[in-house]
This record gives sequence, C-alpha cells and structure tokens, in this order.
Amino acid sequence: MPDSPKRRDFLGLTALWSVAIAMGTALAGVMRLPKPAVQPGPLRVFKLGDPAQFAVGSTTRIETGGFFLFREEQGFHAISSVCTHLGCVVAHTEGEGFACPCHGSRFSTDGSVVGGPAPAALPWLEIVLSPDGQLQVNAESAVPKGTRFKV
Amino acid sequence: MTPDTKTPIREFLENLKQSPRHIRESAMRNGKAPETDRERSQSTFHNLFLHMQSVRTDRRSLRFAYTFGLGLILTASFVVLTITGILLMVYYKPGVELAYNSVKDIHFVVPAGRFIRNIHRWSAHLMVLAVFLHMARVFYTGSYKRPREFNWLIGLALLVFTLGLSFTGYLLPWDQLAYWAVTIGANIASSPREVTDAIGITAWFDPGGFQKQLLLGANYVGQESLIRFYVLHVAVLPLLISAFMGLHFWRVRKDGGLSRDESKPAPPARIGDRDVEVFAPTKTYGLMAVVRGRTPVVGRAPEGSVTSWPNLMWAELAAFMFTIAVTLVLSYFFDAPLKEMANPAIPENPAKAPWYFLGLQELVSYSAFMGGVGIPSIVLIGLGLIPYLDRDPRGVGVWFGGPAGRRTFWQSLIYGLTSVLALLAVTVNLGWLRTWFPTIPQIAIIILNPATVIVAMYSAWSLWVLRRTGSIRMSAVALFTCFLAGFVVLTAMGSIFRGPNWHFYWWPSQWPTH
Amino acid sequence: MSGDPSRPFKWVTVVCSVVTVGFLVAAAVRENVSADWRGHQAVFRGILQIKAKDDAARATARNLPIEIRQVVVPALHTVDRCVTCHLGIDDPRMTDQPNPHRVHPKQLLAIHRVEKFGCTVCHQGQGAALNFEEAKAEDYFWDYPLLPAKFTEATCASCHDPRALPKGSVEKLVLGMQLFEQKGCNGCHKLNGKGGQLGPALDNEGLKTKHQFVRASLKGSQTNWNWFAEHFRDPAGIVAGSLMPMPALSQPQVEALTVFMLSLRQRDLPAEYLAPDKIDEQYARLHPPAPDGAALYHRYCAACHDTGLHTRWDKKFARFVPGVRNAAFIRTEDDECLAENIREGRPGTRMPGWGPKAGGLSDAEVTALVAYLRTSAPAMALPVAPPRGEATRGAALFAQECAGCHGIDGKGLIAPALANPVFQQAATDAFISQTIRAGRENTPMPAFGRAGVSESQIGDLLAYIRKWQPQARSQRP
Repeated sequence: MPDSPKRRDFLGLTALWSVAIAMGTALAGVMRLPKPAVQPGPLRVFKLGDPAQFAVGSTTRIETGGFFLFREEQGFHAISSVCTHLGCVVAHTEGEGFACPCHGSRFSTDGSVVGGPAPAALPWLEIVLSPDGQLQVNAESAVPKGTRFKV
Repeated sequence: MTPDTKTPIREFLENLKQSPRHIRESAMRNGKAPETDRERSQSTFHNLFLHMQSVRTDRRSLRFAYTFGLGLILTASFVVLTITGILLMVYYKPGVELAYNSVKDIHFVVPAGRFIRNIHRWSAHLMVLAVFLHMARVFYTGSYKRPREFNWLIGLALLVFTLGLSFTGYLLPWDQLAYWAVTIGANIASSPREVTDAIGITAWFDPGGFQKQLLLGANYVGQESLIRFYVLHVAVLPLLISAFMGLHFWRVRKDGGLSRDESKPAPPARIGDRDVEVFAPTKTYGLMAVVRGRTPVVGRAPEGSVTSWPNLMWAELAAFMFTIAVTLVLSYFFDAPLKEMANPAIPENPAKAPWYFLGLQELVSYSAFMGGVGIPSIVLIGLGLIPYLDRDPRGVGVWFGGPAGRRTFWQSLIYGLTSVLALLAVTVNLGWLRTWFPTIPQIAIIILNPATVIVAMYSAWSLWVLRRTGSIRMSAVALFTCFLAGFVVLTAMGSIFRGPNWHFYWWPSQWPTH
Repeated sequence: MSGDPSRPFKWVTVVCSVVTVGFLVAAAVRENVSADWRGHQAVFRGILQIKAKDDAARATARNLPIEIRQVVVPALHTVDRCVTCHLGIDDPRMTDQPNPHRVHPKQLLAIHRVEKFGCTVCHQGQGAALNFEEAKAEDYFWDYPLLPAKFTEATCASCHDPRALPKGSVEKLVLGMQLFEQKGCNGCHKLNGKGGQLGPALDNEGLKTKHQFVRASLKGSQTNWNWFAEHFRDPAGIVAGSLMPMPALSQPQVEALTVFMLSLRQRDLPAEYLAPDKIDEQYARLHPPAPDGAALYHRYCAACHDTGLHTRWDKKFARFVPGVRNAAFIRTEDDECLAENIREGRPGTRMPGWGPKAGGLSDAEVTALVAYLRTSAPAMALPVAPPRGEATRGAALFAQECAGCHGIDGKGLIAPALANPVFQQAATDAFISQTIRAGRENTPMPAFGRAGVSESQIGDLLAYIRKWQPQARSQRP
C-alpha cells in the first residue's frame, strides 16, 4: 500500500518537533514574565544612622521595616515583628516577649515560640555596619538566634 | 485470602496503573494518530477546535497564490495578540499617573517584557496590514458573491474592530502619541458639529458632542478617557472581534468553504496519496457519507479534495509559525515606540498616528468631518453594498474575474494614482479654497475639499467604466482599485511627505528642527 | 513522499520554527546574559573582594547577588535604577574606583541619603533605564535628560536657598542669580510674579521640555542647556525677531546663567525635603525687607533705561528711551507723577506698568524707586502754565515743530507719545509748558522757549495737546 501507515514522514516529524520546541521556548520565556525581576517597593534594607544614638537597654520599633531593634550590653540585635503564623504584626512587652493579636501566638523575649499556633520562632535579622558608618538592618536576611552585632 | 476479596483490589490497582493511558485516550477522542482517510476525517470533526473545518479541503483552497494565507495570518496574529496582551495586562496599570511608568517598567525590567510588548506591537501592525490585504484578495477574486455576501459584511465589521483595537491600543501607554491621538480622535468624533454648526442646529441636535462625551467620559482628556479606552481595548473589542471571527469562520464553512472557480473542472481528487479522477455530482456531500465510506460513491472523494487532516492542518501550522517568526524578527530588531510622557501643554510636531491612520490624517487635514467621519462612512457603506449591487455570479474564484478585469484593474490603478497625485500636487503647491478665498464659509469647505473631490473623481471613473463595459463587476473593480490607490498614496503622503506643521517635505531628513 | 500537497507547508513550518527558536534564544541571551549592568556588577563584585578585609566581608562580596537594584522613593514618585550599575555610590571605600563603581563625590550622600532622595531628583535622567544611553536619555523620548555635571547644582535650588549654602558649593548658581539681577533680566521677564512683560515669565524655565523651546535655528545638541547657552550668545539668532538685548557674556557667565535657568522649577516637594534655608527664602519673599531703590532700579529699569541719565536710542525698539534719571526731567516731575508713570507704564510703548497688578512691585517698592530717581534732582517749583489758548493754532504749530519726533497725531514716533492716557493723566499743565519752554537737557528735546516760541503759543500747544486727554478721567490740577 502506498499510503502505508508505517511509512515515516521525516519532514513532517521534523516540522512537528520544531514547532514543539519553538512553542516550548516561547512558553519558557512567557513563564518568566509573572515573576518580577526587581521588587517594586522600597528597599528592605534599612539604614538606621549612627549606632551611638541607640542607648544601651533601649528597644526601638522600626514600623516601616517590620522589626524591633534591641541595644544591649552585648551589642545590637533585631527581631522581626512579623508573626511566623500568618503574618500579623506582633506587639512587644518589655521583659515578657511578643504576642500576636490575630491568632494568639506568643513568643519569648528572644523570639522563641511559647504559645499559640506559630510554627517557628521570630527570626533575628542581619545587622551590619554600612560602608558609610551607619547601622544597617537587612529585613530580608535572617541570622541564627543569638547573633549580636558589636559596635 | 479468597480470590473474591482479592479481585476488587487487583482491579483497582490495575485501573490505577492503566489510568495514564485511559486519561490520554479519553482526552483525545480518536486516541491515536489517524491512519486511514476515515480516521483522518474523524480527527477533524471529533475535535472541538478542528470541527469547524470541513473534513475534506479543496486542493485549490490550499494554493498559496490564491489566498496568500492572509486569513490564517490574521487569525494567527490575533492569537499572538491575545496571548501577549494578557501578559502585558499583568504589569500595565491603566491610570494617567501610572500608565506611562508601567510601560517603561515593562520595557526595562519586566522579564521578557520588552520583547513581549514589541511582539504585541508588531503583530498588531501585521494584523492591520493583513486585514487590508485579505479584503483586497477577497474582493479581487470575487469571493464576496452569493452565497458569501453576508460574510463580506462580517469581514467589514472585523476590519472596523481591528482598527478600533489598534487605535485604543496605542493610547494606553499615555505618552505623547497616545494623548494627542485621543484628543484628535475625540474631536473627530465630535466633528459632525462642523455640519450642525454650519446649519445652526447644534443647540438642539448635537451627535458630535454626544459621541465625544461617550468616548471621553468627560469634557477633557484624562483618567476617565483612559479607562474607557482600556475597557474597549481589553474587553469590549476583543469579545466582539472573537465573536465575529467565530461567525466569519462558521460562514466560510457553511457558505461552501473558500471560493473557487466552479466553472473549471476540478483537479483530481486524492485518495490516500493517489490522484483519482472522479465524476461525481456537484453537490455538497453529507459529512457522514464521506467518512462512512459508503454512499454515494464508495472509495471516492468529492472532486479535487484532500483530507483536511493533515493537509489543511499543515497549511494552518505553517501560517501560524510564519506569523510568529515574522513578528519575532521584527520585535528583535525594532522596539515598539514610546514617546515622552503625555504633555497637555504641547503636542508633538508633527503628531503622527501609526501608518494605517495616516491616510485618514491626511484627509482630516482638509476637513475633520469629511476626512474623519464623512468619507470613512461613505467608503464603509460602499464596501458593504458591493455584494448586493454586483450580483453577477460569474467570475468567482478567478483573480480580477478574468483578463477584462485585469485590464480594468491596471487602468483604474493608473487613473487612481494619477488623479490623487495630481490633486495632492495642486493642494501642496497652490493650497485650497481657503487659501484663495479666506472668508469662504466652512460648509463650502466641508462639501468641496480635496477629499470629496477625489471621491467624486473616483466615482465618475467607476460610472464611466460601468457605461463602457456594462458590467457592474468591472465598475466595482474600478472603484475599489481607485480607492486602494488613493489609500496607498494618502498613507504614503501622511507617513513620509508630511513634516512639522503638516507641511510638505520630500523626505524626513529635510524637516527643520522643531 | 512525492506529491505530498503539504510538503511546502512543512518546509515553511520547519524554517519558521527554527527562526522562532533562534530569535527567542537571542532575545533571552540579550536580556539575561549580555546586559551591560550584569558586567558592571560582576566587576564590582571583584572590587569588593579585593577591598574585603576579613573572611566575612569576602564571603559577602563573593555572594553579592547579580540583580536589578533600585531606589524607590514614594514621596517623590521616583524609581531610580541607577544603583544597578553604580553599586558603590554610597561606599566611601570606592573613592579610587572609576565610574560606574566610584563613590558619590563630596560625600554628598551622607547628608542626602540615597534611600530618601534617589538620584534623578538632583541629576534628572531616566531613572527607570538599565543602560547608560537610555538613562542619559539625550536625543531620546524623555523630557528630562541627565544633567551634565557642570549644571547639576541647578537642582540644589529645589530644596535650598542657594545663597545660604556653604560658599563655593553652588558658585555658578549664585553667580547666575546675581547676573540675573544685575543685567536687568527682570525688566522684561517675570519671576515669582515680579517683572516686565516683554519676554515670557521664567518661573518654570527649568521644568520646560525641549519641545517648548524654539529650536528651528539651534545647531548641535538639542538639549535645553545648549539652547540656553546658544540663546545667551545670540538671542535673535535662536528666536527670530527676539528683542532681547544681550550684553557680551564670558563663557563662565553663560554657564552660570544657564544653571540659574535650569534651577527655576516650581515643584511641589514634600515639606520634609525643604531645607530650613529654603523656607527662610520663601518667607523672605513674602515679607521683603525695606526695598532698596538703587537695587530695584538695576533690577527692573536698567535694561531699557540704562543709567537713566541720558535719553538712549534703542535700535530694536527704534525709538528713544527716556532718560528717567535726567536731572532736568526729574526736576520738573513731582513724586506723584513719577509714581503714577511707574505704576501704570506707558500704554502703546514698551514701558509696562509696574504696579502690584501688573509688574508686581508693591507700593513700598514704587515709593523706593521714586525716591531713588529723586536723588538726581529735587522737584522744582514749576512756573505757572500760561492759560490754554486756541487749539487750532496749536495744531498748526505742533505739526510744524513737534510732529517730527512726537508723531503727527501725538502717538509718538521716536519721542514719547503725548496722546497717551497715562501721560495725560500724570502730567500737569505746568509740567508740559515748562518742558516745551525749557526743553530737556541731555535729550533731543530742545528748549522751544529760547527758540522763540512765546508763552501764548505754548498756551495754544497746551490746548491742542490736552485734546488727547481721555474724557472719563479728570485731569490732575
């Protein structure tokens, strides 16, 4: 039979595969579009000025940054104020720790979970001294609990 | 354990194992690649996306030199535009303060954004070009004739929607081009006031003002207007054009497929891959009759046809890939334009629309009402009436309807080009009525301007051809060709030969700094 | 498969698919691999590694992500991506690096934090762009191209009073402001509501786009600063028919005036961005100190009247500009008459009104100007005017003696118009007759009294000249 089904149509197969590859490449390009290449909001790295302006024993809430800055004898540390449960902002009580108003999670003064549904401790954030001598907190970058920044 | 208790579990496991195959088979109604003509036919009408096509395609419909694949290119570019359009909507923000910067962001930082926007722009250009060419092809091959008259009208609607989509599309970036195009467009919409003012009835009857209000949603160009154009561009017009495209395709199918010369003997049919001479009644075959392979002619196919699967599918795939390849190449080398941010204080000079509107822009430089409303309406009505005025069934499927038509085409082309060029030469060198009689009333200019004169000259030529040949078809070819020539010349005039303050220049390099 | 009707279509499909894949890959490479900023960031990573002093810093440098960076300043509506290439802009260690890695000069970012100000609020340019050409945006569809370094101080004035800034920091801008006042630019141009009306107001000169300038004769760069520079060299060569007089300026002066023009931008900036000195400057504008007549004269009058001691022939106006500080003139005019002339101007001539509703000068400033003019000579007690005579005889005499300069119908020719409502309003009979009698020293106006014109003839002239007095307004006694 001239129109044998077994007969291979190489040109046709090549064409089909080339279309498939083209469409696959295009799809791969298209899939990249929804993920922004750069975060549209302001930078999540906060320069807080001269470290000396923070008194030993003080707690400063940086609202725009979503964290608390603590200055103790041993140095600085920053703890995120965003609840690890579902993202509400926790309140801080000196000496007691943090409490989340939304679903009742509670955290100790070092951010460890002590009650409620929160699955993880409040992260400690990275603190460095910026090249121009300012205290700089990177709210996107967590460090191990207990990491303190010494001036 | 007894076999009784074991069987259902084994069956469950077996089904689980087989489920990928079953899902695949249930998804594809045919289940496997077709091998016989019957299966090929089935793969067409068993598929939602393919069933609108006939199971067999006339071989003449696949001839490139007959259709140039323009309809397919149009469909393909519409698909590309829809996909890229949706992608752009992810980042585009329709606000006068936000739109421009969001387009800049698409250009600079959105992954693949610049490329996708370029593709969107270039396939839009391609679609407009193809819609004009497609119309010319359908006209010159007489494909609008019975029973395809109504589909010609649907096609005209699609032309209008395509232009509407283009217009509303280039407004969205809210750059200088956009802002001044909205302003000009809205004032063209209000230009019937030229007439109502001239006869002094605007106070009671003001269709122009109504149209402008409807478009802008305010008495100035601003946020209200942008959101209206946005809604038109991303919702109203795409829905309309999709519905009309569906209707258009359905009518193509129901009206007997692509037009062809029925007076000529059909080329041999193709069964499998053999050419077979068939002598079959010239009637449409019942779908099932063919695919069941029993009546009326066992083992034979309708004259001159091949199975649509895979032959038509290949043509469609080729046109689709061709469209994509062309737009990609253009998009790689040429960025979609984006002017300065909209500045109500000062228009661009010259403020030029995209090429397809520059013919119109040349016309509105004579009279806003005649160029922007009057003549486009006349042209659209004239085009719509063609199939109802030319009811001669001969000449379908033949370019220009034969040698006589070809002759008429060339004569009309020369006449059309010469007359419009002569008229433009007069206008550029000597001016027009207002240059000669500065106090002439506006109504005189509305009635007598280069645009109306050229329409009158073309109509006269067409009437003369009608008297000479006694054929309405020839007269239609004459008129259509003249308008085509006029469109091309005016578009070139607007695109190339008009510079700052809409003055005439031989070449853009001669433009003064402005 | 000979005779396959789909064969051409298959070929088209293959070729087009290959082209598609090729260009998709090329576009992906262009965007993701070969972009300039990626190269700059890679180099910067190397610089950081070299400069790192300890392992932690080396690790940070090594892990520096290669990504688009931007400064978002919601208060200023700016998103500046300049920091994508200028990674070391606030890193004091980068003083020895070439651009784009170098730290911002003069440690300005220590007091203008990048996060608060961004870049384009001072430097202009297209902050959204990711390559230098498009960020610079000259000859590009962008209204505010990157300011060349020599003009950057212009934007300091958006938030500062330039004169209050440390000496030397905005030298050109301060020089430009001084030149603007000294060269009498205000005589024709309004600024902050004060000034003449012959030229356009300049309040937002720095925010104009290039399309708002007449550039038909502008050669070379089409930027605003080039326009200013060329225009200061030859106003009429750039704007055909311009009446603007231009004293010869040195190159630094041209540059200084250009900077000042670029600094004129009335932007609504959030209060937290305004420096205290700027607020003082705005306060001082609303509550001006006691006006200084001499300074006012230089600022608003000198462009046309020059020193004012002599009548001056103006080529562009094609007429004499009166010498308003001429002692002979000042002596004959009383203070009220001078003030009236200043407030109302001379309709029909190039002399605009300077009152609060026109030129924007306050009553106190007009008084100060009059006092300055008065320093030339005290007002004299004018001889009593002769009684008005016969207007027809006056007309004949006027045609013979006066019309040559003052125009046949008193509309003014090269000499001031007499058929002028403000003149008629301000001038007393005694003033007119004294001027005819004694002439005007240092001007072409001769003393007709000494040339044989009698008192009664002066009376006839007076009668004729007073026929041009507007009916509605009464004559000052």
